[in-house]
Amino acid sequence: MNNIALLTAFPFIIGTLLFLIPKRARGLIETVSGVTALVACLGSVRLFLVRPIESTFAYGISFVIDGLSGLALLGVTFFTLIIILYSIGFMRDHVYHRSFYVYVLWTLAASIGALAANHMIVLALFWGFLGLTLYLLIHIGGGSGAAAAAKKTFIIIGGSDAFLLFGMAIVWQAAGSWDLLGVKLPITSGLTFWAFIFFVLAAFAKAGAMPLHTWIPDCAASAPIAVTAYLPAALDKLLGIYLLARCCLDVFILNEAAHLVLLITGAVTIIAAVMMALMQHDMKKLLSYHAVSQVGYMVLGIGTGNPVGIAGGLFHMLNHAIYKCTLFLSAGSVEKKTGTTDLDHLGGLIQIIPATFVCALISSLSISGIPPFNGFVSKWMVYQGIVEMGQRGGRLWVLWLMAAMFGSALTLASFIKLLHAAYCARTTEYAEAPQREHCAMVLAMGVLAALCIVFGIFAKQLPLRFLINPILGGSDIYLGIWEPSQAGLYIGTGLLLGMFLYGALSLKKGFFRTDRTYIGGERLPESSFISGTDFYNTIKEIGVIQKIYRGAEKKYFDLYEQAKRTFSYMTELLRQMHTGVLPTYLSWVVFGLILLLWILGKNTW
Amino acid sequence: MSIIPLFVAIPLASAFLIPMFSKRIRVFSDIFANVTTFILCVMSLGVIGRNAVYTVGLWKPPVGIAMALDGWSVLLLVTVNSISFCATVFSIKYMEQYTSKLRYYSLFLLMVAGMNGVVLSGDLFNLYVFLEIASIASYALVGFGCQHDELEASFKYLVLGSVASTFILLGVAVGYSLTGTLNMADISARLPHDSSTFIFMASCFILGFGLKAALVPFHAWLPDAHPSAPAPISAMLSGVLIKAIGVYALIRLIFNIFGLTPVLSHILLFFGTASMVIGVFLAIGQWDMKRLFAYHSISQIGYVMLGFGLATPLGILGAIFHLMNHAVFKGLLFLTAGSVEYNIHTRQLEEMGGLRERMPVTGFTSLVASMSIAGIPPLNGFWSKLIIIIACVQSGHYIFGLWAAFVSLMTLASFLKVQKFAFFGELKEHNKGVREVPVGMCLSMMILALLCVGMGLLLVPSVRAQLLDPAVASLLRGTEYAAWILSKG
Repeated sequence: MNNIALLTAFPFIIGTLLFLIPKRARGLIETVSGVTALVACLGSVRLFLVRPIESTFAYGISFVIDGLSGLALLGVTFFTLIIILYSIGFMRDHVYHRSFYVYVLWTLAASIGALAANHMIVLALFWGFLGLTLYLLIHIGGGSGAAAAAKKTFIIIGGSDAFLLFGMAIVWQAAGSWDLLGVKLPITSGLTFWAFIFFVLAAFAKAGAMPLHTWIPDCAASAPIAVTAYLPAALDKLLGIYLLARCCLDVFILNEAAHLVLLITGAVTIIAAVMMALMQHDMKKLLSYHAVSQVGYMVLGIGTGNPVGIAGGLFHMLNHAIYKCTLFLSAGSVEKKTGTTDLDHLGGLIQIIPATFVCALISSLSISGIPPFNGFVSKWMVYQGIVEMGQRGGRLWVLWLMAAMFGSALTLASFIKLLHAAYCARTTEYAEAPQREHCAMVLAMGVLAALCIVFGIFAKQLPLRFLINPILGGSDIYLGIWEPSQAGLYIGTGLLLGMFLYGALSLKKGFFRTDRTYIGGERLPESSFISGTDFYNTIKEIGVIQKIYRGAEKKYFDLYEQAKRTFSYMTELLRQMHTGVLPTYLSWVVFGLILLLWILGKNTW
Repeated sequence: MSIIPLFVAIPLASAFLIPMFSKRIRVFSDIFANVTTFILCVMSLGVIGRNAVYTVGLWKPPVGIAMALDGWSVLLLVTVNSISFCATVFSIKYMEQYTSKLRYYSLFLLMVAGMNGVVLSGDLFNLYVFLEIASIASYALVGFGCQHDELEASFKYLVLGSVASTFILLGVAVGYSLTGTLNMADISARLPHDSSTFIFMASCFILGFGLKAALVPFHAWLPDAHPSAPAPISAMLSGVLIKAIGVYALIRLIFNIFGLTPVLSHILLFFGTASMVIGVFLAIGQWDMKRLFAYHSISQIGYVMLGFGLATPLGILGAIFHLMNHAVFKGLLFLTAGSVEYNIHTRQLEEMGGLRERMPVTGFTSLVASMSIAGIPPLNGFWSKLIIIIACVQSGHYIFGLWAAFVSLMTLASFLKVQKFAFFGELKEHNKGVREVPVGMCLSMMILALLCVGMGLLLVPSVRAQLLDPAVASLLRGTEYAAWILSKG
């Protein structure tokens, strides 16, 4: 029996069979889905260990698991398991409880299929179906907000898929084969360049790089958080960057222009999205803009075209999935406890949900690129990749490096705002009495947060050695002078020392003094507090930037909205021609006849 | 005894028998009509893979009248008769809203007889006669509700349809004057391709059949006529009528009688692309559900024409397959629109919303059909659009391929609009009491939805050799068609 096909079909069949279980048997549905995801996870580990595997079906359709697809496959099955674990606590009382699990399992199946496919049409088949499951999953949020977000998402993703088909057809014509692997098409003509662009656009739409990113904030705002954490935060990044890497490493041989497209997109995405994130007042939207911004690093890394950069980009893809998933899940816990994710109304959660806070803290530090967490290592590798690219000449690399490093600083800034506003700042009482955190939810977040630390400190020994380096030929990737384990040891020691000192000194009463907030001698009323949401208003008020923000608020930079405006104008134009008056229509017929006679008469038969 | 004439004779006979026998027992008309369409459906499945020529009254062509069955007609027969079976099943409950079901079934079966006749006819004048039978029945069916809008739409349809028929008749007359024969095969053998009279004849035919097929700029009647008809009729009109009496006849003439030339191929490409693009732009702005669907028929016929215009085996395969698929999902879409209208008595999208909760079967089948027309895998529309796009690239028509991809995006956008406003979102207060439509209607929609899901399998090589490949082959052999008919006859 064919293992890969089995692994694809299994979650799909089980998912469909879930419809047979009565809706009330919530526990049973959860168990069945959990076991399915676990089996898929173990299966993918097994496939990963025995890779490379190639199995051919009828009609020359083959499935391949190599280093790249194996890595993404591990990620996909692992995150499905985590999300199902988390959903035991989070989705329990939801109206569309059963549908949620069905769609999650379908997503799992389609993702496995898309990753393993070596035939381009088979890839397109699973890839397109993923758009549909995402569309259905967003609808689970309910209401008109979710309906609008789902529509927008699917138009962007499904639309880019249509062009992907066109790009695939061009590759097929040029290469004479439908296989993804071993094509190595040099980008020499305008046609192949466009084929490359269509591949890249499909990857960008899925991963959420600019200019096709605009569905992510909308989706985050109205889909259930479990869905946001599952797809836009984790799976879509894995899949999108997988396609990007596949297309850059195996399908095309990039030229300068193609590299430049990737580098510009990466740099712009990092900066623009993080600037948007700085100004958000809603936790989910803030996180979603970071989910866009971080894609920039991956695109930048792959765009450098050298092994360190590409390895950095891929490692960042994995790391991002881990910490962004944790961040969204922690936002989910906050929402579950307080009923809101609006930072203006949150605060002081550190006492109510301490475990969630720890996970959120670790992943925030990780996304901001603070050593020794995993986000730092992969960003470091991307920087290294850019510097190495710069050694071959040209000046633009300084720009890319600046964008990457500055973006990282801004990320830290916005997470300080988030952590302060949600967890630290004092606030009015919450309506509901604090309850204990759900253990399944904490477990899911805890596993991910632990991974952030492990992948950071033991980056060289574990993830790079087993997961990333084999993709690029197996040799050790140069990391510069940074030694993660050593640094981790020093940082850990420092922290421990600090904690010890703090503990020791706080035994002495009155050593640490607490006082009221000083605001120029005025007495702050008890009811007011500093939420932290306005930390960066100063930036917002700088002349040029202010104009850009206003434009962004009016959605001038949203490709979807702009296209919608243009097309509805054209529709209106055409509608005005259709007056419903019969003589007009008859005159069109006459016009058509004249046209036909002219064409047929002019040309020789 | 050949089975071929029965495709015309059975529905024709039933059309007259139903009003005679079922005046007393009303349920009789339902049974009679459904049994008829079911038999036709089974018969059409039975002739898959067969090639035959039937000579009426044993007079040999070119003197006698010939009915020819080849791959291309078999494909249309299967499409027409299976959709009409689903439509009659749907009609049982749906048509209770109207008076006089008897006349409805009569007209319906007349239309089916006309379409089967067009598809099987090997004689140009007979083709015209059958086309008129189908058209006139459809004029009456469009105005069946007898409300103001319906009658107006029917009148417009009648006027423009008659213009088309006149041009077709003119074409037949000119052809007769050129060749002295009406048998399609014989005309083909004798046509002088370089005369200006021939060019005039070709123009007449392209205009006439183009108007029946609702190609831009001859499309203006369709968005009025198709939404006004009762839902099963809309499904028949958009699903099969424009194909049987428009696309089928036009393609048969161009490929097998005139012989495809680069000029004709370019005409198909340009008219096809224009229909595809203009149709989809018009559709996306609509708020009347059925009108939106109707504009998409124009757009999807554009895809079919584009595929034929490429004139490569792959392009023709895509076009033929898309034609079948369109019949299924557009038929289904109109039936779901009918279900919604049956329950909440409106076609305006703004007044719907959240209906999926109250009408799960309609919601699900409508989602399937919408995804299918938008080309989302693994549904049938995906495969045919894929083939058309690949065929565009393969034959070097990149710009047309890009248009096809773009229209696919726009189609997705407009069907997501339908889904968003009709089936997802908040349930409106006045729709809280809505219930799912009766079983028969659900059954009919489920059959079509299953077809949408499963029809991709028709592309599996061993299956394809039964239905799709013979159709492609019968078009690709070009004017040899004539020799085949004359030798068989």
